Amino acid sequence: MSGLDLPLREQAAAIAAGDLDPAELLEATLARIEERNGALNAVVETFPERSREMLAAAPAGPLRGVPVVIKDEWPLPWRAQRFGSAEILAPTAPGESGPYRALRDAGAVIVGIGNMHELGSSSTGNQSVYGPAHNPWNTERCPGGSSSGPAAAVGGRLVAGAVGADGIGSVRFPAAYCGLTGLKPTFDRSAMEGHHQAAITETIVSGPLCVDAADCRLLGSALCEEELAAGEAAGLRIGVVRDTVSEDVAPEVGAACEAAISALREETGGEVREIELPDMDPATVAVVLISNIDAQGSVVPERLNHLNPEISPINRGVIKYRMLMPAMAVMQAKRIRTLMRHRLAALFAEVDVIAWPTVPAVAPPLEAPLVELPSGTTTADQANVRGAGIANLTGIPAISVPVGISDGLPIALQLQAAWGRDELLLDAAEALERANDRRWVESLPPLAMRPSAA
Amino acid sequence: MEGSDHAADFIASGLALLGIEADEMEMAVMGAFHQLLWEPLQEMLAIDTSELAPERNPDLSKAP
Repeated sequence: MSGLDLPLREQAAAIAAGDLDPAELLEATLARIEERNGALNAVVETFPERSREMLAAAPAGPLRGVPVVIKDEWPLPWRAQRFGSAEILAPTAPGESGPYRALRDAGAVIVGIGNMHELGSSSTGNQSVYGPAHNPWNTERCPGGSSSGPAAAVGGRLVAGAVGADGIGSVRFPAAYCGLTGLKPTFDRSAMEGHHQAAITETIVSGPLCVDAADCRLLGSALCEEELAAGEAAGLRIGVVRDTVSEDVAPEVGAACEAAISALREETGGEVREIELPDMDPATVAVVLISNIDAQGSVVPERLNHLNPEISPINRGVIKYRMLMPAMAVMQAKRIRTLMRHRLAALFAEVDVIAWPTVPAVAPPLEAPLVELPSGTTTADQANVRGAGIANLTGIPAISVPVGISDGLPIALQLQAAWGRDELLLDAAEALERANDRRWVESLPPLAMRPSAA
Repeated sequence: MEGSDHAADFIASGLALLGIEADEMEMAVMGAFHQLLWEPLQEMLAIDTSELAPERNPDLSKAP
């Protein structure tokens, strides 16, 4: 057997047991990418010889021989990252990045580079120097961003696991749109070295995108270079916020997430508590300011008069606008961060997780990424950032879990926990999977149900 | 109208002071981004944080 459609952990276990030939798996994966990627544009580069070399040298780690895709956000020894853009405002060069080393040391085989939204600047994935990636559930829909390619690759079952990055929801948005589980680890817990913003970022982390929580645990453990040990989410105290993040959502999203929260409570023998988390809108502005200033790095004004014209007008405009962001606003953003960190620390004494929809509506069209909400029509980016930014602002971990399908497109619930409680999020996600008989994590997009030549 | 005039003035004068050139499309993007950001930014600035003990070089991997 090729093992191509097995979950990540079963691929790893079958290889370790000698039941699956990793060389056959690698070749089958490369053939699958060749076969399906045309519809998805998820993988923007493969390097079969490098992959074979990685396999030949792979140590007997927990991911030995398992093929994975990595986002175009870190260098590899044979390739500098392009960040989905014609130009990056920071020096880049090939090298051994943290995620590369973590994957290599776990025995994984990098089979390709995942597409991404240009400069990591959107939740949609509809703009990239490589052309946009497509959602495997409906190729005319956004795959989510900025880790669009990693999500589309796993969603389309090109690979069983991929590495993304999350600066404001960039693992969780595409996980939600593509029906996957995506973990944003606690800040600074997962490998980041080699990222062109690694030394300055206060929001970005690497994180796994996989079909389910158990696979995220395995790949996440490799990225964190420590075991994210499995436990029980018994008696889970689930906090819900009756505010824009849970109320101003498409009705089908609200209903699926409410049902999932109830199911999670029942499965864990826990309880649901209504909590208050004021000032979410200012907190969203705060994380937008901090992440934009981080992204600007040490660019001098004159440099901005020579931007590569192939960078999209939207990003050229945003890059220039960043120079006008008031210093006092950035300072206030950091005070708001402190305020929200204190509030969350107090809340996490009362509840174990905070739950609300990962995104307020299903994946919008690639051509016009707008969403219809009770408050009106808005851009997906504007709507999505509200529920995602608080985790990046404050450093807490968060996970997106599929909890439904509407009009053929996935719906997702986000769970957030206190700093360092990444394991609890994985435990809770597994409990949620049990509660709905794994219905949503085992749902396949039409593209992945086609008979495969590989 | 007043808001967009304000945005146009703020952006044009800010860019001119920094010597940054921008084409029409970039100016339109900046105007739209400014419109989205400015009001919530002002709300954020209005929050009184004077009672809050600042975090110096916060360790974002841990609770405050």
